[in-house]
Amino acid sequence: MLIMKDVSKIYRTDTVETHALRGFSLIVDEGEFVSVTGPSGSGKTTFLNIAGLLEELTGGTYELDGRDVSKLSDKERSRVRNEKIGFIFQSFNLIPELDVYDNVDVPLRYRGFDAAERKRRIMSCLERVGLASRTAHFPAQLSGGQQQRVAIARALAGEPRFLLADEPTGNLDTHMADSVLDLLAEINEGGTTIIMVTHELTLADRARRNLFVRDGEIHDGPPELHFAAAASA
Amino acid sequence: MDTGPIWRAMLRNKAGFVLIALQIAVTLTIMVNAFGIIQERAGKIDRDSGLDEANTFALASVLYADYEREQRMALIDEDLDLIRRLPGVVNAVASNSFPLRQGGWSMGLQLEPGNLGPESVSTAIYFVDEHGAETFDVEVVDGRNFTAGEITWSDPEDNTWPAYGLITGALADELWPDDPGPYVGRTVFINVTDPVNVVGVIDKLQAPWESWSGVEKSMLVPQRRPSEFVRYIVRTEAGMRDELMPEVESLLADSNEDRIIRDVTTMDETRKLAYVGDAALIKILSFVVLLLTVITALGIVGLASFNVSRRTRQIGIRRALGASRPAIVRYFMVENSIVSAIGLAIGAALAIGLNIVMVEAFSLEPLAWYVIPAGMIALWLVGQAAVAGPARRASRIPPALATRQT
Amino acid sequence: MFRYYAKLGLLSIRANPALSALMVAAIAIGIGACMTIVTVRHVMADNPIEHKNERLFHVQLDNWNPNDPYDEPNEPPEQVTYLDATALLEAGRAQRQVISFKSSRVIQPDGDEARPFQEVLRATSADFFAMFDVPFRYGSGWDAAADRGEERVAVLSSAMNDRLYGGEDSTGRLLMMNNEPFRILGVLDDWHPVPTFYDLNNNPFQGPEQIYAPFSTAVAGEWGSTGNNSCWKPPEEGGYEGYLASECVWIQMWVELPDESGKAAYAQFLDDYVTEQKQLGRFPRELNNRLSTPGEWMIDREVVDETVGVLLALSVLFLLVCLLNTIGLLLAKVIRRSNDISLRRALGANRAELFRQYIVEAGMIGVAGGLAGIGMTWLGLRGIENVFAGYDFIEHLVTMDWQMVGLAVVLAIVSALGAALYPTWRACRVSPATTLRIQ
Repeated sequence: MLIMKDVSKIYRTDTVETHALRGFSLIVDEGEFVSVTGPSGSGKTTFLNIAGLLEELTGGTYELDGRDVSKLSDKERSRVRNEKIGFIFQSFNLIPELDVYDNVDVPLRYRGFDAAERKRRIMSCLERVGLASRTAHFPAQLSGGQQQRVAIARALAGEPRFLLADEPTGNLDTHMADSVLDLLAEINEGGTTIIMVTHELTLADRARRNLFVRDGEIHDGPPELHFAAAASA
Repeated sequence: MDTGPIWRAMLRNKAGFVLIALQIAVTLTIMVNAFGIIQERAGKIDRDSGLDEANTFALASVLYADYEREQRMALIDEDLDLIRRLPGVVNAVASNSFPLRQGGWSMGLQLEPGNLGPESVSTAIYFVDEHGAETFDVEVVDGRNFTAGEITWSDPEDNTWPAYGLITGALADELWPDDPGPYVGRTVFINVTDPVNVVGVIDKLQAPWESWSGVEKSMLVPQRRPSEFVRYIVRTEAGMRDELMPEVESLLADSNEDRIIRDVTTMDETRKLAYVGDAALIKILSFVVLLLTVITALGIVGLASFNVSRRTRQIGIRRALGASRPAIVRYFMVENSIVSAIGLAIGAALAIGLNIVMVEAFSLEPLAWYVIPAGMIALWLVGQAAVAGPARRASRIPPALATRQT
Repeated sequence: MFRYYAKLGLLSIRANPALSALMVAAIAIGIGACMTIVTVRHVMADNPIEHKNERLFHVQLDNWNPNDPYDEPNEPPEQVTYLDATALLEAGRAQRQVISFKSSRVIQPDGDEARPFQEVLRATSADFFAMFDVPFRYGSGWDAAADRGEERVAVLSSAMNDRLYGGEDSTGRLLMMNNEPFRILGVLDDWHPVPTFYDLNNNPFQGPEQIYAPFSTAVAGEWGSTGNNSCWKPPEEGGYEGYLASECVWIQMWVELPDESGKAAYAQFLDDYVTEQKQLGRFPRELNNRLSTPGEWMIDREVVDETVGVLLALSVLFLLVCLLNTIGLLLAKVIRRSNDISLRRALGANRAELFRQYIVEAGMIGVAGGLAGIGMTWLGLRGIENVFAGYDFIEHLVTMDWQMVGLAVVLAIVSALGAALYPTWRACRVSPATTLRIQ
């Protein structure tokens, strides 16, 4: 379970103070598939950064899996990220010098598993995304869809409770995008909570619950409603 | 070109520029101080010994049979007679040492008789006969040379010092700092009580020790020493040295079997050996400065290349917005000038600081005034040259890059 | 985890070959420059008799001019007079005492075709070999009786024995020096103290003498000193006898004492001796006797030329420039790889783990730079040897020992790690959140 209560995030520079999130409250239940949409600059990415413990919050509380994570040290946050959260990025973010096997291995190394356990997990995750035969390939030798599958395998390797996806199909063509989404849906059915940020409403449709972010505030409900509200306002 | 925006952009990536500025600063510090030392040593090497070095050589005769004093005296006379009669020999003399040889005899002189005190003046001693002045190529600028009658043989039973001396102008100036010449006819005391009458002043004859601070002070003494070990100094006519040197060596070796001839050496070789340390230091420091400049230039190239690749898109946008190629090149040149200016300013301060420390700790000369500005200009030029390559590469980035999504 | 970091380091080095090569080169050149000078200095400042340093003492007595010290501010002469050397040797108040000076003879090798040659030798009292732990290959040195009897005996270095007798056991043979036969008592094993601590006058890097003969025999034969001779007043009598009776100093004196109390007792003995001599009208200056260990004596005599100090200072600055260069390059690398860093942070690496990763990588660069630096040092030393060609002792000063090799590697690693600190710190500060923004 993920509970955000009254979360705010303010970016300060010398001259400007930007309220990226304000009074942001949200509960995501175990096993949900949530999409987050909103116009550019609305605070989607900030929300994902906070949810993924990549950034600290300015105000409010954040509870993940029954534990208050809003005031953890950097080391503890790293640990939580490593154990409970998997990331999927728009541009895949694979490490170009590492082959497929070693890319999936990265989070497992920081987890401290022994070699046999890492190998077991890596192979099972790669099988799951259908790339078990490509362990020795480098990212540049794979298609975009395949790269994103490797990234998903990497996200799954640590058996996280939460999967955070940031425009996971943004760099893919429609065909590949569909297959990646199918894979995410399948993972969700296995019990992993997924929060997916996107600006494409068609993608958001694939989620079971839709959230809409505007001006740093959250709105629950089908996105069409909010767009309509925005248009009439 | 307006430097404001460049300066503000540099502030956004301080660390890289600070490192280059520091590198330039330390490079300047080393460069000018090394150059100061090079200059000092080169000046030292350039000093004139007073001899006709190109046409002078020396050799030593070591007797190992038990000769009486009279026999030794006769042998020296014979030897000198043989050498002096050779065609092409200008003159020759038997002496205890010669300039640049690094070993010799020194004595303290004073204006009043008595034990040596803090006020006594040290001088190198060369024992010669009346041929010494011509062999050593010294000019008697005041007074006269020794006469044959003034030359004595040293006597083991009598320590009395010869009563005549030819001294260098530098020695005279130090003996009588407040009472300038003419010095001829004055008397100084040596060996506590023995008076020496200055019969002449010679223009220049260095002491045997090149590193001695009093290297210009020497005195010719009209005495010959009949010891087992005798050094002959031979001055030849121009271009005859290399021919005569082996000739004299075999002449002496063959004339007497109870001795060995050794230390046959030209003045050129002697000079080289005397200054090998200084020459080596000059080479080492020149190499260090060169290497350092290359390393710093590589650092500048590295940072500039890195900045070019990091700003590729930004440069594309500038080009799309109308910046010309020279404007892009100028941007990097100005940026480098700013870094250089800061580094060189810090470096100038550091260089002066290090120089003060070195002058105190290692008794070096302070830097000449122009060394630091010259070093600054040189390093600025190096920086501009180093940045030119990456800057030209930057200017070739196509404007179309601005519209491409990466 | 170390192996993982090492693997990542290797990958990263391979991914940026030019940058990595530049860093290794910068460290190697800096280390090479620094270690070249450090090595020369190390050899010059080496104390070849370190193991007996606490028991050996160089003796100085101040018999100098009442108006003017031997050297400012109030230094006693470096050597002693014949009067004092022989009196102190005769007194025999130390465990061992050595008086010696440098001289030269003409050596006449056996056989008609061999030409005579002049050779520097050391005239010394018998204890020299035992006191300075000089090793023998054949035979031995002479004893006090030979000293007293002014015997014509000699000891050869192994090199001289090779030259004169083809390396065979020459003990018992007669060596002709200046037409006088000397019986060879012993041949030394390899012995190359650099510097020649027992006589720091003239050039202490030329290596030891090749022939040794009794001090008493040399004096009886009126051999002159070819080392330094200094007088503050002329001998009162002429000739060699007058010189022996004079206040001229030309003899190096060393004593071996068991411990601190032995040193105190000997110092007292010297003071008593000088006080006694004062009654005879000698020693016009205040009591100013010195006992220095070889280490102290080398520092006192400034065996290490100050030019080496200048070069050392410059070479340290040189290393600094190379390190600034390395810092800049590492920083460029870190900035270029902030993507990778941010991603690893997002995937759960904490700051400490990233710090270790980058330090391991820097350490690898350091090891490579250190190994290359040893090569550079070797080149540097060859360069020094080259520019000093003509100094026959230079080859003694440009040799690297394992200590210097180790120091080069350690210095390289420490330098690389030091250079890596700031860039690594920057790497650790890269926010994990940036990984989402890069699109």
